[in-house]
Amino acid sequence: MSDMSFHLGEGSVRIEFDEGLYPKDAIYGAAYVFIDRCWVHLDRAGDRRIQVTLKAKKPGADTQIYAGEFQNELLGQAWRLRIVEENKKLVESITARALGGAAGPPGLDELLAMDIGEETAFEDPLGIAMSWEEKYKKKGKGEGAKAEAEDASEGASGGEKAS
Amino acid sequence: MIELRFHEELYDGFAIDEAVKTYAAYATAELSRDGGAYIVKVTAKPEATSEGIDERVLSAELANYALGLTIERARAGGAA
Repeated sequence: MSDMSFHLGEGSVRIEFDEGLYPKDAIYGAAYVFIDRCWVHLDRAGDRRIQVTLKAKKPGADTQIYAGEFQNELLGQAWRLRIVEENKKLVESITARALGGAAGPPGLDELLAMDIGEETAFEDPLGIAMSWEEKYKKKGKGEGAKAEAEDASEGASGGEKAS
Repeated sequence: MIELRFHEELYDGFAIDEAVKTYAAYATAELSRDGGAYIVKVTAKPEATSEGIDERVLSAELANYALGLTIERARAGGAA
C-alpha cells in the first residue's frame, strides 16, 4: 500500500499519508499555503495517519491539481525544514558574532575594570603602537654613528649565523 | 447547525476560541470536547443568513481561521 493516498470528492480532495513521512511543521506549512484557495481541514485517519481535506473556494476548480500541488508543497516544506535544521548552528554562530560586533567597543567602566598591569600589558614587538615621529625621527650625528655601528655588527653576526 | 471537529493534537484550543470570537457577529457557537477532539457547533445568526451568508461557508471559514491561527501560534513557539 502507498504511504500517500488521494480521494477525490465533489469539489474536494482528501489526502492521507503516514504521520512519520512528514514532520508536523511541514504539514502545517503546506496547509498554510493553501488556506487562501481552499478550505483546509486536518484530521487523524486511524493510527499514525494524517488526513488533509482540501475543498476549493472557487467553484469548478480542479481539485486533482490541488492534490498534486499539496504533495509538492509538503515535500518542499519538509526539505526546507531539513536545511534549517542542518544550518541552525551556523546561523546561531553568525548571529552571535553580529550581535557581539554591534555591541561596539568597551566603555570606560569596562576598561577601568580590566586588569592591565606590567605583566598583562600589551606587547608590541612590531612597534605598531609607536608614533610616527618616534619611529622615523632624524637621529643626531653621534646617535647616527652609533646606530650605524650597531646595524653593521648585527649584519656581521647575522652573516656568521648564515654560514 | 453544523458540527466541526478539530483534533486536539492538530489544532490549538486557543486558536479555536479566537476563531469563534472573531465570527461571533455572524454565528453562535457551542464548544465542547469529545474523544480527543474539540467540537464546535456553529449556527449562523439570522442577520447573517438574511445578508446571504451561507452557514456552510461560514463554518468552513471559521475552521480555516482556526487552522491559520494554530499554524501561526505553532510557528511563534506556542502549543499546537
